[in-house]
Amino acid sequence: MKHSYAGRAAIVGIGATEFSKASGRSELQLALEACAAACADAGVDPRQVNGLSTFTMESNPESEIMRGLGIPELTHFSRIHFGGGAPCATVQYAAMAVASGVADYVLCYRAFNERSGRRFGVGVQDRPAGATAEEAQFAFTSPFGLLTPASWVAMFATRMMHEYGVTSEDFGRVAVADRRHAATNPAAHFYGQPIRLEDHQASRWIVEPLHLLDCCQETDGGQAMLVTTPERARDLAQPAVIVEAAAQGMADDQHMMRSFFRESIVGLPEMGTCARQIWETSGLAPADVKTAVLYDHFTPFVLAQLEEFGFCGPGEAKDFVADGGIELGGRLPVNTHGGQLGEAYLHGMNGIAEGVRQVRGTSVNQVEGAEHVLVTGGTGVPTSALMLGAAG
Amino acid sequence: MSADDLLTRLRALVGQQGPVQSARHPVNLPAIADWCDAMGDGNPVYTDEEAAAKSRHGGIVAPPATLDIWDRPGLPAQPRFRPAAKPPAADPRSRTLRLLEEAGFIGVVAVNSELEIARYLRPGDVVQNTQILDDVSEEKQTALGVGHFVTTRQRYETSDGEHVGDLLFRILKFKPSSGQQSTGTSPAAAAQARPAPDPSPALRPRPGINKDNEALWEGYRNHELRLPRCNGCGRVFFPPSPRCSSCGAFDMGYVVVSGRGTLYSFSVVHHPQVPGFRYPLVVGLVELDGADDGAGRGVRFLADLVGVSPAQAEVGMPLEIEWLDSHPALVEGATDSRGPITVPQFRPATPTRREDTLTAGSVQEGQRLPLWTLPLAPTHIVAGALATRDFQDVHHDRDLAVQKGSKDIFLNINTSLGLMERYVTDWSGPDAAVTALRVRLGAPAYPYMPLTFSGAVKSVDADTGRVVVGVQASNELGPHVTGTVELELQP
Repeated sequence: MKHSYAGRAAIVGIGATEFSKASGRSELQLALEACAAACADAGVDPRQVNGLSTFTMESNPESEIMRGLGIPELTHFSRIHFGGGAPCATVQYAAMAVASGVADYVLCYRAFNERSGRRFGVGVQDRPAGATAEEAQFAFTSPFGLLTPASWVAMFATRMMHEYGVTSEDFGRVAVADRRHAATNPAAHFYGQPIRLEDHQASRWIVEPLHLLDCCQETDGGQAMLVTTPERARDLAQPAVIVEAAAQGMADDQHMMRSFFRESIVGLPEMGTCARQIWETSGLAPADVKTAVLYDHFTPFVLAQLEEFGFCGPGEAKDFVADGGIELGGRLPVNTHGGQLGEAYLHGMNGIAEGVRQVRGTSVNQVEGAEHVLVTGGTGVPTSALMLGAAG
Repeated sequence: MSADDLLTRLRALVGQQGPVQSARHPVNLPAIADWCDAMGDGNPVYTDEEAAAKSRHGGIVAPPATLDIWDRPGLPAQPRFRPAAKPPAADPRSRTLRLLEEAGFIGVVAVNSELEIARYLRPGDVVQNTQILDDVSEEKQTALGVGHFVTTRQRYETSDGEHVGDLLFRILKFKPSSGQQSTGTSPAAAAQARPAPDPSPALRPRPGINKDNEALWEGYRNHELRLPRCNGCGRVFFPPSPRCSSCGAFDMGYVVVSGRGTLYSFSVVHHPQVPGFRYPLVVGLVELDGADDGAGRGVRFLADLVGVSPAQAEVGMPLEIEWLDSHPALVEGATDSRGPITVPQFRPATPTRREDTLTAGSVQEGQRLPLWTLPLAPTHIVAGALATRDFQDVHHDRDLAVQKGSKDIFLNINTSLGLMERYVTDWSGPDAAVTALRVRLGAPAYPYMPLTFSGAVKSVDADTGRVVVGVQASNELGPHVTGTVELELQP
């Protein structure tokens, strides 16, 4: 079934801070800088914003954003759970709000000092061993030393290698593509620093079978997007980037990056749920998509996403990424900003911004004919996805 | 004394023979049975008259690894009250060691032990041996320090002069603190160079225990692997939920499963390292036997693996449960997350002893033996030392072992060889003849450090039936023994 709000919302502004390892500023300041920049990009006075959408993990409450931006009134504020699975859903909620008339301008934002402050990669060992269902979820993984996202994803990766014959080098090709794209993106942390497959293979183990260079960066920074209706968009500073489709997804026997108990653990069925909605709502097919931004906290799940969206068949992603298949000039250039391995780890929000730039035609690694750009949220977690396109 | 003078005096002893040492008692069934118990060796040729009569030996024999235990002296005076003045031993090795100690080479570490079997001992044999100093090396720089390798050979005979086997034994006498920086030339040196992590399991993250999972954790405290089972429709599933997603019942019970299963997938955690675990940490996703979810699929469970190195982990490997009483109670008597915690772990499934015997023709070069992990308890170490008539205090008295600089009591060489022999003959079957056991010694085997045996066939001679199996037993400190077991099978 098609979503009725599809095509009735547009991203009209994007804004970000610099991406760094130590911002030297509060997370609230990063959020406000990014939000103000998104409004400025669109040519919209922040006081016109009356909706906010962000992550449950976000430390900056809507009330503080509202105060800082001088917003007189909010009619919509929504949050999405499950960490990195949220980014595309912030835009989806914003799109639903503006299409239904609940709000006029909605800011989607995410900001953190994830490198200089609380680092996600250090593990959940300090999480309270409490009685809530949220806390008790960890009872059957944390006492056994499986404490970090890398350790959870590695469990899937080992099985992918076993069932599909995927190798560490296949994972490495994702890293090589990301770093090649980041090398020509001045905003990327790894600007001017491409890697070779040998560098990937030589990098130290984090959690076997994941090398250091299979893992995303840790970043301080903020990213925001401004969403409104296509009608309002006509009068604004930038060409509208239409939300052609947006989706959230969970699937059978879902767990938070630890869905180890399903019949098969080599795919991402929650991303399959998103893919089905994205294709149905947009009316597009994989062949219509010339570039994609696929969530890359860890390289193995980029392969699984190519399969879930039907760019190739199950188990075929290792061939799809071979010979520069996901690099500029390849079958489907992926993460042209450098991804979260190359540009920055902004919980996927910087990937949405790259999707906007590709549709606008302003990416530093512009792909010819990028009329429709697929963007995805976190993998292994309940997640979200977007199809962005040019205004007709 | 100059180094040259010392070497001249040492070399003068080479070739000298010690006095004949004779066993107090003949080889006998009770001692053989005790040895089999200590090693867990169920080979019937050692204890079962009927089975032994049908074997290649035609009757009961002693395990070959016992060759050098029978003529050992018995329990000395209690260590704490040992007389200060003991007559110096007259054998050439003891004389060599005294010379070296006077010259400052006070450290000692065993390096090689090689046992060659000419014929299996039988009950009634009275064993004796003569020792020959085979070699003293020139001064060598080793990772432990400068030292001399001292090699002796012992020739074993029965009292009527029949040759039954030989033992080559090599030790390094060294000057402590004269070692190079971690050149890691010998496994023993490598083991000493490696810091021994000793985390408190109480530091592992505690599980969040609530109404929905407490029945499972209560089972674990009793070393019972429970899985949630719907009392409405009988569905077994994991992780728990208060409602059955299949029939809708809110009536949850549990089933107890054996804890056997196969490895479905795994992660090897290197980083970050948090207190309470040893790294690299192998965590496994295990498909459990006897826990069908109704759709014919085994239910999966997740736990860390013990006794499995990253290189040994393999999807599909058979596993069995092991229990770690990981946390004392925070609040005495509490049964929720403040109470004591026991966590399940998995180790390689103990291989079953083969009842028939392999022929050389059925064995391939490179063929691997299944892993065997022994969760080494103090009882194994003490029972092994006594059953091999090794009364050195470091193998049974923790206080004295610690006083002598050891972390704890540790496995004696004869028990290591006995376990290695059991490992290989459990695989080959009872009627294989062991002709040699040769090992290089490495890290000590301390209690509570699971010791994992691995092996592979190095060579097969299908004409003669001679098969050489390479074996290693390792713990978290590194290789404990590395060597070969030579077998004779039917061609």
